[in-house]
Amino acid sequence: MSAVLTRWGLSTTPPPEPPPAEPNYLNHNYSIWSWLFTTDHKRIGILYLISITLFFVGGGIAAGVVRLNLLAPNGAIVTEDVYNRAFTAHGVLMLFFFLIPAVPAVFGNFFIPMMIGAKDLAFPKLNLASWYVFMLGAACAAWSVLVGGIDTGWTLYPPYSTRASQASVVPGVLGAFIAGFSSIMTGLNIMVTIHKMRAPGLTWNRLPLFVWALYATSLIQLLATPVLGITLVLLMVERMWGVGIFDPSIGGDPVLFQHLFWFYSHPAVYIMILPGMGVISEVITCFSRKNIFGYAAVAWSSVGIAVVGFLLWAHHMFVAGISFYAAILFSFLSMLVAVPSAIKVFNWTATLYRGSITFQAPMIFALGFIFLFIIGGLTGLYLATLGTDIHLHDTYFVVAHFHFVMVGGMVMAYFAALHYWWPKMFGRMYSDWWSRLAAMIIIVGFFLTFIPQFIMGYHGMPRRYPNYPANLQILNVMSTAGGSILGLGYLMPAIYLTLSLINGPKASSNPWSATGLEWQTPSPPSIHNFEETPIVVCGPYEYAIGVDQMGRPLPEGPGEGGPIDPASHAGHPYPAGPVPKETEVVG
Amino acid sequence: MSFLPSFIPERASILADRFEALFWYITLTTATVGLLIYIFIIYCCIRYRRSRSPGTTPRILGSHRLEIAWTIIPTIVFFTFYGWGVAVYNYAFHPPEDALEIFVIGKQWMWKAQYPSGQRVIIGGNPANMTEAERASIGKLVVPLGRPVKLTLTSEDVIHNFGIPAFRSKMDVLPGRYTTSWFEATKLGEYHVFCDQYCGTWHSLMVGKVHVVTPEEFEEFLLGARSSQGSENPVDGSLAFQGRQLFMKLQCSTCHTAKPSARAPVLEGLYGSKVHLKGNRTEIADEQYIIESILKPRAKVVEGWEPIMPSYEGQVTAEDLAALVQYIRSLKRGTTLDRTEDFPVPVGAPTERPEPISPVKGKN
Repeated sequence: MSAVLTRWGLSTTPPPEPPPAEPNYLNHNYSIWSWLFTTDHKRIGILYLISITLFFVGGGIAAGVVRLNLLAPNGAIVTEDVYNRAFTAHGVLMLFFFLIPAVPAVFGNFFIPMMIGAKDLAFPKLNLASWYVFMLGAACAAWSVLVGGIDTGWTLYPPYSTRASQASVVPGVLGAFIAGFSSIMTGLNIMVTIHKMRAPGLTWNRLPLFVWALYATSLIQLLATPVLGITLVLLMVERMWGVGIFDPSIGGDPVLFQHLFWFYSHPAVYIMILPGMGVISEVITCFSRKNIFGYAAVAWSSVGIAVVGFLLWAHHMFVAGISFYAAILFSFLSMLVAVPSAIKVFNWTATLYRGSITFQAPMIFALGFIFLFIIGGLTGLYLATLGTDIHLHDTYFVVAHFHFVMVGGMVMAYFAALHYWWPKMFGRMYSDWWSRLAAMIIIVGFFLTFIPQFIMGYHGMPRRYPNYPANLQILNVMSTAGGSILGLGYLMPAIYLTLSLINGPKASSNPWSATGLEWQTPSPPSIHNFEETPIVVCGPYEYAIGVDQMGRPLPEGPGEGGPIDPASHAGHPYPAGPVPKETEVVG
Repeated sequence: MSFLPSFIPERASILADRFEALFWYITLTTATVGLLIYIFIIYCCIRYRRSRSPGTTPRILGSHRLEIAWTIIPTIVFFTFYGWGVAVYNYAFHPPEDALEIFVIGKQWMWKAQYPSGQRVIIGGNPANMTEAERASIGKLVVPLGRPVKLTLTSEDVIHNFGIPAFRSKMDVLPGRYTTSWFEATKLGEYHVFCDQYCGTWHSLMVGKVHVVTPEEFEEFLLGARSSQGSENPVDGSLAFQGRQLFMKLQCSTCHTAKPSARAPVLEGLYGSKVHLKGNRTEIADEQYIIESILKPRAKVVEGWEPIMPSYEGQVTAEDLAALVQYIRSLKRGTTLDRTEDFPVPVGAPTERPEPISPVKGKN
């Protein structure tokens, strides 16, 4: 320990700020072709960011139609057919075209190479191809919307989807099928990059937890997505050519589809949530100035979730006609996956203990994640428990549960990541006050939207119902009211983040005084990230000692009023490191 | 119907009480843990905010004892949920032997119920896409208080789900397959029936009512003396009787006779017995087996018989099948045919009988 400290003690002052005109990945070439044919992981990350923002807006509009229509027990604004198309569009866009690529393809692409001290991902051309494939899939989905939309629900259960639906199912399914390849490419790229391109000294036990989480995510993307591809092809074959695979009237088995579909789609929820968990580990440590509590537990629980996540798909099918023994087995395995999630929450909570906490927007989003994810995770136990799932299955209780995990968890983490890394990506600071306000509004709006849905579901209101019993109207009105607050909250970052690009103050290279290697590059990063390969000497979260992963002292930490507001520095900025310190033991 | 939902939704079956006990056990446990974590986070956020703790932070890397504690304790708690949940599911999954049986057929977008005594009713659905006759028989599913009722469910088209929130029961309704759901109502009244599996345009109108009546009223309903279901439906004989007519109409009786020249096994006493199949397999002859044998006769061939039966797929509706099953169930030993000692038992005829079977001689 002391020997290492001596080495840190030898290091000198922080690296000098880059001169303002320094060429970076954004300004070295402005032509449209330099963007469309770029193989720079950062630019591809930005392409993904723009694309998924569009899909998020599209999915959000569909959600708005659904919620507004539920204001009245017999449908307030649209017909049943339009409603069915709206919730399907909401599900397909949000899941396949926003949540799955959100963190891996935007922040994974952008920051995995920077966090491990590499110049790019292992396969830059494959990376660009993944974006084109993704956009091709999105074009197919758009095609299906333009010719009338799909009305099957995102779960696409046959025989409805293959026989009965009058909508344009094939283009939509084709879109999800093609987008799946993009997910495989990204997963493969990230996994190989993490294996082969880590900087000298960056051992597995020194990897930031975001990298661990993305590694686990890539594992699922690689192994599970092909099964989705197979399933969707079988679905299209049955619909187009009447080959009996799932439709019992031509010799198929509809439950087989559910097994195949959930064999992908259950692990897919971990594709969505694991990267978010990685973001939270980064943000919580930085804004409480602490080492992560239980590094190994947090890292390996990601892998544990990824592995166990493959073994519990049939818990979506407890009332679908599976056997009693299958049900008790899958219920058992579902209980097991709750444990690593609980471990993560306990470790994040313990990280806050005796910290020195500030509440900039990324931290508020991260705390919001923990608050909402606790509810999302705990309500999952009701659905993993056989006796309670019978009644709650396919009701709004399920809807509320997965929105707590997917939106309360993953979208909060996405916003935490966006706010945390925004100054690095664009070299500009956004409004501290507005961003905090937006984070608070989103959390409050979220609670108001989805807590009533738990009560509705407990009272038996089924999913995908534009018509419902009149005594549930009050809860639906509350939920829609909350949804409009939530919508307002999501609109705010679009405004102040865009404004920051125009007239935001310039961000320093390490505005949060964070330890990761990505902060060792200028903001915005230069074309090849690092002038020389960084040499890593310690773990990722040495905030207590005050050194980054290269053993150099951290700059002065963010004060209470935001990192760039000079007035706030009269507050309590965190002292610059390094500070020699003994490891303390608690518990 | 009140304007506001009540705190605990209406409970009208034994399963509902068992569900609520488990639900509130999980709720109290998880809410306690969740609140404790919330309180700890809020405490940390206040106590350790930058202005209160402006100095440097301690370097705490973790604790093996804490990690083990918060791995093992939640695991144990989760498994109490699991065990209790299996018990409730076990209860809900296995209907008692003596349950009253009702066939329920789902189709886009209505539920059709058939009682063994012949009553029929359409519960719920969108009147706009029904025939005149169907519209006339829209009513409620009448069930007796305090008696187990088993629903045998199937679908004519896509997957539906028959859920009764007040009973906390729910089961997917699949085409080409038979699922069961059962309940024992504990409270008189009318309760919602919902389709819980998305099934197309009018999914949300595939709703109806279940009407719990006293056992006396239920007997009168079965006898046709009371129309508790809210619609007048002529009863053309019991379901088994309808099945017998179909059995003759479809000429099943030509081969499934008790004559020595029979080309197919006799079916009396078949239901619930163990059947020996080609390939040295055995199977219990339940609804699923009988219906599969009607629709896909070559899939499971009884030992000792040639696979000569034609498929009736497309020729019989789900309702016809329910009637045929009911008829075959009613075929007790000797109920329709005489017996004789002159001929050996056809190999593969139903075996598990109360006494050694004797060969039969057809009387026609």
